[in-house]
Amino acid sequence: MPLELGVVGGAAAFLAFAVALYGAVVGSLGAWRRDARLMTSARLSSVAGFLLATVAVVVMQTALLTDDFSVSYVAAHSRIASPIWVKVVTMWAALEGSILLWAWLLSGYTALLAAIAPLSPLRPWALAIMQGVQTFFFFVLAFLANPFTVLAVPPLDGPGPNELLQNHWMMAVHPLLMYLGFVGLTVPFAYAMAALITRRPGSEWMTVTRRWTLTGWGFLSAAIVAGGWWSYEVLGWGGYWAWDPVENVSLMPWLTATAFIHSVQVQERRQMLKPWNVMLILLTFSLSILGTFLTRSGVVSSVHAFGNGPVGPAFLAFFLLVTLGAFALLAVRWDDVKDRAELDSLVSREGSFLGVNVLFLALTFAVLLGTLFPLIVEAVSGARVTVGPPFFDQVTLPLWLLVLLLMGIGPLLPWRKAEDQLLSRNLAWLLGGLVVSGALAWVLGVRKVYPMLTVALAGYNLVSLALLLTGALVPRLRLATRPAVVVIRRYAFENRRRVGSMVVHFAVVIIAVGVAFSSGYRVDEQLRVDIGGSAQFEGYTLTALDTFMEQTPGRISSGAIVQVSRDGAFVGTLRPRLNVFGAGGRPIPTPAVLYRPSHDVYLNLNSTVGPDTQFVVLRAVKSPLVTWIWVGGLVLVFGVIYSLGGATRALPAHATRASTVAQEA
Amino acid sequence: MRKKVVYAVLGVFVLVAAGLMIARALQTSLVYFVLPSEYARDASSFDGRKIRLAGLVEPGSVQFDDSGLQLTFNVTDTYETYPVRYGGAPPDMFQENGGVVIEGAFHEGVFVGDNLLVKHSNDYHPPAEGEAVDVEALKESLR
Repeated sequence: MPLELGVVGGAAAFLAFAVALYGAVVGSLGAWRRDARLMTSARLSSVAGFLLATVAVVVMQTALLTDDFSVSYVAAHSRIASPIWVKVVTMWAALEGSILLWAWLLSGYTALLAAIAPLSPLRPWALAIMQGVQTFFFFVLAFLANPFTVLAVPPLDGPGPNELLQNHWMMAVHPLLMYLGFVGLTVPFAYAMAALITRRPGSEWMTVTRRWTLTGWGFLSAAIVAGGWWSYEVLGWGGYWAWDPVENVSLMPWLTATAFIHSVQVQERRQMLKPWNVMLILLTFSLSILGTFLTRSGVVSSVHAFGNGPVGPAFLAFFLLVTLGAFALLAVRWDDVKDRAELDSLVSREGSFLGVNVLFLALTFAVLLGTLFPLIVEAVSGARVTVGPPFFDQVTLPLWLLVLLLMGIGPLLPWRKAEDQLLSRNLAWLLGGLVVSGALAWVLGVRKVYPMLTVALAGYNLVSLALLLTGALVPRLRLATRPAVVVIRRYAFENRRRVGSMVVHFAVVIIAVGVAFSSGYRVDEQLRVDIGGSAQFEGYTLTALDTFMEQTPGRISSGAIVQVSRDGAFVGTLRPRLNVFGAGGRPIPTPAVLYRPSHDVYLNLNSTVGPDTQFVVLRAVKSPLVTWIWVGGLVLVFGVIYSLGGATRALPAHATRASTVAQEA
Repeated sequence: MRKKVVYAVLGVFVLVAAGLMIARALQTSLVYFVLPSEYARDASSFDGRKIRLAGLVEPGSVQFDDSGLQLTFNVTDTYETYPVRYGGAPPDMFQENGGVVIEGAFHEGVFVGDNLLVKHSNDYHPPAEGEAVDVEALKESLR
C-alpha cells in the first residue's frame, strides 16, 4: 500500500509541534543556564522545524493539485474543476489551511532569524519565544484543526473553496501579506520579551529587530490596502471598507504597530518610553491573536468566520496566556524598564511622537470597542445589535485628522525642545499651506467638512514635506561644489530612513485624500436599463448593448455588456456579471470597474441574466479619487522598501564608525 | 512635579472627552436586530431609529415594479406582519417564505429599507402546517 499523503502531512505537523516544543524548552533552559550546547541545539531545531513545516506544506499542495480527496481538507475545500491557481490558493481559503500557512511562515522566519540574527544575550530567549509561539500554532494544527485527517471513504469531488474567495486573484495575495505582517511583527515581540527576561531594556532589542519590524509593518499595511481593493473588486457595493469585524481586527494590530514604529525612535534617541514600547509591541502581537479568535471562532459572524470548533477557544486561551504573561513579566521587571528621563517639552519631536501614540491607541480602543460592543450588549441584555459604520466614522474621523495634523508638524520639530524662532517660521508656512489648500478646495466646490479639512491638511502636509526637504537640501547645496543632482542623490541614498519616511508620509496624504473624497462624495444608484436601451448616470450614458454568457472550466458567467459614454464620446465597455462556480453554486455578482484618475464608474449586476432577459438592474457607483487609495498603497510600499535598503546601517553603528574615524583622525 | 500634574489633568480631560464622544456615537449608531413581533412589542422605543428587521417573506405579498424599481412585500414571523418598501431589484435567491434582513426605518407604518439581504440558512426548517413558529430558532437562523 502506498503511503497516503494525509499520513505524511499529519506526521510532519506532529513532528513540527514536537520540535518547536523541544526548541522552546531546551532554548529557554540553555539561555537560563548559559549552556552553549543547549542553545545551539535549540537554534538548529528551528531549522528542522522549518523543514518539517515545509514538508507539511508540500504535502498539502500536492494533495490539492492532484485532487487527493482522501485528505480531509482537500475534500472539504477543493474541487477538481478549479483552475490550478485556485487549488494552490485553497490552502489558505479556510481555517486549517490558514493555520498551516501561518505556522509555516512563522517557522520560516524563526529559522531565518536563527541563521542571521547577531549573537547576543537576547537571541536565545527571542528564539525560544518564537518557538513557543510556533508550539501553539503546530499544536492547533496537529491536534485541533488537523487538515491532514485521512478519510476512509474519500468523496469523488469536493465543493471547492468559498466562492467569494475564488472570485478574485487578490485572494492569492492578501492573506499571504497579512500573515507575513503578523509573523514579521512577532520578531520584535519576541525580542522585547527577551529584553525583559534578560533585564536589558535598552534599545538593543529594537535596533536588532528594526528591519523585521519595518518589514512586518510594510506587509501589514500592504495587506490592509490589498484587502480593501479586494472588497472593492468583489463585494459589489462599490466600497472598500465597511467596518466589518474582520476588517477591524486587521486594523487594530496595524494601529498599535504604527504607534510602535514611531515611539521606538524616542527610545533610540532619548532612552524614553521603554515600558510604553514594550507594551505597544505586546499589544500588536496579542491583538493579532485576539483578531484570529474573534473572526475564526464565529463569535462575530462575518464572511471569514469558518464555523465553530475548538480553535476559537484555543486562540482565546493563548491570547490570555500571552497578554497576562507578558504584562506580568513587565510588572516584575518594572524597576529595570521604567523611564528615568522626563519629557523636556511637549513641543518637541518626542512630544509629537507621544501625541501620535496616544491618538493611535485611542483609535485602537475605539475600533476594539465598536467591534466588541455587540458581544457586550448581547451578553448583558440579550438584545442583538450591530454597531454601524456611523459609530466608527464619528469616532475615528476626528482622530485621523489629528493624526494628519501631527504628521505634518512632528518631523519638523527638533528633539528635546523647539526653538521659538524656527518653530514660528515653520508654523507660518504650514498654516499658509493649510489655508491655501482649504481655500482652493472651497473654490473647486468642496463644501463637506471632512473632505475639505482633509484637503487643507493634505496641503499642510505637502508644505511640511517641502520644508523638510529644503531644510535638508538647501544647506548641502549651498556648501556643495558638485552638481545639484549628485548632492540630491547622495542625500537620498545616505538618509534612506528619513527619505523613506517622507515617502510613506506622502503616501498617507494620497490615501487620506482618496478616502475622504471616495466616501464623502460617493454616488450610489440603482438603474433599470433595457437591453438595447440606455440610462443616464452622473453625466454618463450607460447603454446595455447585449447580454452575454461565458463558460470556462469550473465557472459559468452571465452578464451584460454595458457601453459607457460621455457627451456622445465612447469612454469604455464594462461587463458586470454573475459567476457561478460548479453545479448548484449560487451566482456571485461580480462588478466591473472603469478606473479613472478623477473618479471610478463601478457597475454591479443586481438582476439575473438569462437568454430572454429584457432588462437588467445595475447598481452604479461613482467614487471620486478612489483609485488614489491603491496608488497611495503602492507608494507606501515603495517608501518602506526604500527605507529598508539602508536599514542595516543602524544608528549606533553609524555613530561608532564616526567616532572611530574621529579617533583615527 | 508641576509638569506631571499638568499632564495628568490633560490626560484625564482627554479621556473624559473621548469617553463622552464614544458614548454619544454608540447611542446614535446602535442598530437593533429584531423580528416583527419584537418590534410590535416595543415599537415606540424604535421610533425613527434605524433597525435591522428580520423575518420571512410573506407568500403572495411580493410585488416588483420594474420600471420604477420599487419592490414591496410583507415581512412576517407569523405573529406580526409589516409592509416593506425597498428601492431596488429583488436580490438573487429572494423568494416567498425565504429569510430576509432589511436595514432601514419605519415611515408611516411602512418599513423603508436601504439594504436588503437574503438569508439562506440550512439550519432552519419552516414548521409544518398548523405548527407554531419557534421565534428564537428563526432569529438565530437569520442572524
